[in-house]
Amino acid sequence: MNLIQKSLENIQASEELKQNTLQYLHEQQHRRCRVRPRFAPGYAMVMICLILFMGAGGYSWYRKPVSYISVDVNPSIELHINRFGRVVSTEAYNDDGRDVIENVSLKNVSYMKAIDRLLMDENYSRYLKEDSRLVFTVVSDRPEEIVEELTGNKLSKRYGALVYTSDSSCMHEAHRHEMSFGKYRTYLELLEYDDSVTIEDCHGMTMGELRDRIETCSHEGKTDDTDGEEDHHNSSSHGRHHGH
Amino acid sequence: MKSAEEINCAMELYADMVRRICFVQLKNRNDTEDVFQNVYLKYMLYEGTFESREHEKAWFARVTINACTDWLRYFARRKWVPLEVIGEETGALDDASGEVLETVLSLPEKYRNVIYLHYYEGYSAVEIAGILGRKENTIYTWLARAKELLRERLGGEWA
Repeated sequence: MNLIQKSLENIQASEELKQNTLQYLHEQQHRRCRVRPRFAPGYAMVMICLILFMGAGGYSWYRKPVSYISVDVNPSIELHINRFGRVVSTEAYNDDGRDVIENVSLKNVSYMKAIDRLLMDENYSRYLKEDSRLVFTVVSDRPEEIVEELTGNKLSKRYGALVYTSDSSCMHEAHRHEMSFGKYRTYLELLEYDDSVTIEDCHGMTMGELRDRIETCSHEGKTDDTDGEEDHHNSSSHGRHHGH
Repeated sequence: MKSAEEINCAMELYADMVRRICFVQLKNRNDTEDVFQNVYLKYMLYEGTFESREHEKAWFARVTINACTDWLRYFARRKWVPLEVIGEETGALDDASGEVLETVLSLPEKYRNVIYLHYYEGYSAVEIAGILGRKENTIYTWLARAKELLRERLGGEWA
């Protein structure tokens, strides 16, 4: 053994150093097994794509309306409601309606809150006079809950609101005529009593006028058929019947 | 990635050599542990295969020397030798061995490496050239100069 070997022979890796290193390697191995660096960029891209896809998909899923409420007095507006019961969009079908949705914040709140805001709005209440008619019409796969809430609402009761249900084919037909499906359903109801009425006539009529005409015609019809009474607050059969 | 079994085996076989190269190069215990761990981390991540134990050992020697060099360059660590560290590390050396070690450690880095690899590990100049990635003639020159420096400082009885 030369002197250099002798001088260095006591330099050895201690057990502590070996164990610390093995522990360090074990931790590194464990960490790298979870996300190996060479796959990290790909993994990150996949995650980003997934997040974007889920974000875009989730947002469109959230934005997709599943229920609709047509609110007609003279302003004709529709509330489009997502699966969480929130208003995701609104549509106006006449000038009064456009004026309303421009001035009342109805989106991104629950549909009953939107209805309350609408009925409490000073501008909107101008349309709720004695001779006017507030009519709610619901299109939904499960309309019962919405109808129940609308009929039970204090403000709806105060204004003597009528609540109907309709269906999507009636809604599409209404939109083809640039009319809210609530007003269109009422037109179809009137058409049963008076086949001379046209869709153009209805465009210029308020819901109060349409209802008056229906009531007049139905009273005239009562002389022939005394069983013609209806329940305005839950006359879902009308909508479904007229829904094509 | 190397298995736990391969790592344990390499730890038993080469830990002392890695430790000595770190000591000769770094002279500082704290640095030694960091570089020691980095060398074994490189081994763990090394995807290649070794033809033999000798090949593997040479790989460890080269990687350790490179790791020490990188470490010294990066941190610009002190290059003088604190005597108390040498004392702690080498244990009870006789006067002659202590003086040899201190003199070896005071040599420039390139000479320390060749002296250690040649006189402690027993590598030939050709093998050292392979480990350090230098020309054989360069290694011969370094070895000659290193020996000359040691002879100047220690006289003729150092090896």
